Amino acid sequence: MMKDISIGRYCQGNSILHRLDPRVKIVLCFLYMIVIFILSKPASLLLAFAVVIFLAVLSSISPRKILDSVRPVLFLLLFVFVLNVLTIRTGNTLVEFWIVKITGDGILKAGLMALRLFLLILGTSLLLTLTTTPLLMADSLESLFGPLKKIRVPVHEMAMMMSIALRFVPTLVEETDKIMKAQASRGAEYDTGNIFARAKGYVTVLVPLFVSAFKRAEELAVAMDARCYRGGEGRTKLHVLHMKKADYFWFIVLSVAALGLLLIDLFV
Amino acid sequence: MLAVAFFIRETTLMTEGKSLTENADKTEMDVILDDVSFSYVHMETEVVSALSDVSLSLGRGSYTALLGRNGSGKSTMAKLIDVLELPQEGSVLVIGNNTNDESVFWEIRTSCGMVFQNPDNQIVGTTVEEDVAFGPENLGVPTAEIRSRVDDALRYVGLTELSLRQPSQLSGGQKQKLAIAGILAMSPQILLLDESTSMLDPISRDDFLALVDKLIRDKHMTVLHITHDMSEACLADRIVVLDHGKVALSGPPGEVFSQVEAVRALGLDVPVFADLAFTVSERLGVEPDRKILYSRELALNGIREMLRRPPVTYMPAASESGKVESDVAESGTSKSPVSGKDKSGARTVLQVSHLSHFYEKGGAPALDDVSFSVKEGEIFAIIGHSGSGKTTLITHLNGLMRPESGDVFVYPKDGTGPLNVRKNADVRSIRRLVGLLFQYPEYQLFEETVRKDIAFGPKKMGYKDSQVEEKVQSAIRLLGLDDSILDRSPFELSGGQKRRVAFAGVIAMDPDILVLDEPAAGLDPTGRREILEYATRLKAMGKTVIIVSHNMDEAARYADRILVLKHGKASEPMTPGELFTDEGRLMDLGITAPEIVTCLRELKKEIPDIRLEYFRATDAADEIIRAFNTHNRPPVGDGYTAAAADNTSGGDAV
Repeated sequence: MMKDISIGRYCQGNSILHRLDPRVKIVLCFLYMIVIFILSKPASLLLAFAVVIFLAVLSSISPRKILDSVRPVLFLLLFVFVLNVLTIRTGNTLVEFWIVKITGDGILKAGLMALRLFLLILGTSLLLTLTTTPLLMADSLESLFGPLKKIRVPVHEMAMMMSIALRFVPTLVEETDKIMKAQASRGAEYDTGNIFARAKGYVTVLVPLFVSAFKRAEELAVAMDARCYRGGEGRTKLHVLHMKKADYFWFIVLSVAALGLLLIDLFV
Repeated sequence: MLAVAFFIRETTLMTEGKSLTENADKTEMDVILDDVSFSYVHMETEVVSALSDVSLSLGRGSYTALLGRNGSGKSTMAKLIDVLELPQEGSVLVIGNNTNDESVFWEIRTSCGMVFQNPDNQIVGTTVEEDVAFGPENLGVPTAEIRSRVDDALRYVGLTELSLRQPSQLSGGQKQKLAIAGILAMSPQILLLDESTSMLDPISRDDFLALVDKLIRDKHMTVLHITHDMSEACLADRIVVLDHGKVALSGPPGEVFSQVEAVRALGLDVPVFADLAFTVSERLGVEPDRKILYSRELALNGIREMLRRPPVTYMPAASESGKVESDVAESGTSKSPVSGKDKSGARTVLQVSHLSHFYEKGGAPALDDVSFSVKEGEIFAIIGHSGSGKTTLITHLNGLMRPESGDVFVYPKDGTGPLNVRKNADVRSIRRLVGLLFQYPEYQLFEETVRKDIAFGPKKMGYKDSQVEEKVQSAIRLLGLDDSILDRSPFELSGGQKRRVAFAGVIAMDPDILVLDEPAAGLDPTGRREILEYATRLKAMGKTVIIVSHNMDEAARYADRILVLKHGKASEPMTPGELFTDEGRLMDLGITAPEIVTCLRELKKEIPDIRLEYFRATDAADEIIRAFNTHNRPPVGDGYTAAAADNTSGGDAV
């Protein structure tokens, strides 16, 4: 049902990765993105694969759920693979017909590229989307970019906007459903009729949706005022991000692993 | 409803004790409005005066209900107290601080907590506990203390177990409790409720009111409660009625509701029991002790006392010259309490058979083998608690949802075979025959002008332009809308007008069957009555009307037959008489009797002759007098003979 829609793909849990400070996860995620892009040798990429599997173990999320979460991008991986196979024309030729030429080099490089992308997606999923709530993510971005406040970047406001947007996604999804049903009752067409009828059908949804979103925004602003909201200054938080020993430990372990991968790739 | 009655009794006792202490120290006023005026600019040109020269004060720990038509300035008053608006003239003092003094701005806001009408639009946090923490966070409360305040507040309102849920997973009632928790965490002195209960179902409403009652007792909070519900207003120790920005009536509930005519003239209603007692007094031609019209128990005692009084003159129902406006509005409908019965021979227009629906595989069914049929020209009510499957059921009726198992058939007037909701080819015709109006339909308006918006449906249904215009005209005439409204933008209309325009949009499609989901939700008493009158008018035009309702009194008054849904299971359709007079059946179905039936049942204890199947105050009053007379004394004298004869004949017609 519409009500159960969850934002992002967060998997409830209490594993080491779940408990890890989200700022650490964001920084590590960034680090791994760079490292995985730099890695060029099959051996080091396979080692990186091992590290990602290690992360998966740390997350204690069932392998099936993890695979489910990357399933939508499998098509993209396949596309990248095929494209690379077809465009890389160096190396010994395996098959050749019409304008298609498949080379051993091509298959290897395409495979590496696909693996790289796969690791990238899997790694960020494990570190961020699967184990971190969107709200914590917004919080930690506010904290990480906190220093920018000094040069008047509205970091708090942006984080607040992000978390309010997250809060209202399910509400608006539900509302869209409701409006579509109401308009369909009046004969609007979304799935039948020609393309113009359908376009017109969507107008009947979008206008009320925008009107109501603005009304909600207005009312929410009043409600926030009434609850003494006055920007980020002097504001405290219920959940304060706190680096614990375990956070330092995993931060060091995982960054050393990342650097190790780089070294192996360079010198082996 | 029973729960409400319980609180009424409780607060009655409290009021008596409190008014004494209140008089003792008048100095402790939490809010003082002194000659306050406020106006705002509407649509850039029109200056609307929301409040003019209003003076009012709220004592510490007092509970004030603020009543008035939509647009009478109630919300403005609450906003002035919470410094969300500043008065243009006069002054507002909140706990000794003037709202015009900028240096105490935040102090005032901290001391006031406000719960708004729409639960969704006041929740900021992405989880329940985050939302409760929002206020204290803004106040700069240290983290450890926020934690304990959040935990305390959640425990107080009973949401501890849901603290990590997303707000969208809560019910409406839980969301409003969450709003209260968010306020409690800021420990304010004054609680402002701006129609906070108007979007809740009866059970959540009683829950919410119990919570407010607890706050007044435990925390001695000062409460200003804006509401359209008269029985809610009776819980307060003072009622203030606003009309066009001025205080029209003010005083304890007993005093305000004693002025029945004045209250009605202001577009409000009196509670059902008060209406009944007042009507009995009118019929008997005696003056009631008007101060008792704010609790069922007292009103019933009043009726007992009036019956025992020696008669002055009896006014039979026929000679109602000085009848109150509201009754005139209702008089168009049949007086017979079981008018549904003669419909048994009518044609079936809609048939639901063995309909089931599951939202999750293996989960609890939303609809469980529901079967019933609706006859042509009847008003068919569907009642049940939130989550009983009402909305799921009605979205099947015009094919918005297709049956997973079971069938829905629609029978057109021309006698062609039944249309099946399962068949794609039939759905288009079904959408034309079955008009569906969802709850709060004003959100579906989208066109530039009202005319275009109302015409959208009929155009889609393939009517010619001239026909469309005709349909638009007849729809707005039916709903009492003015021609001049047609060229305005639907978005600049008032809430009540928007509702009627949306209603017109469905009526203009000229459907045989109209399905209305809580059509009167959130409207003031006048608006409510008008909307429900349209249902009777449609019925008079030969349309079939299916109404989903929470309000038992209204269902009893307007419906020919009623279907009760409980956990997705449907009862047999019954007449209001069959359903509401059978206490065991009500208990089984988990619904409460209409207030008026509860009143009659109470009186029946002493006057066993009373029949319960009367749902309008006028009919019920006649029945009480008739039963009392036949039971207690044989008819003597002209007045009584006439009365008895009149009433018996009325009864025989049944």
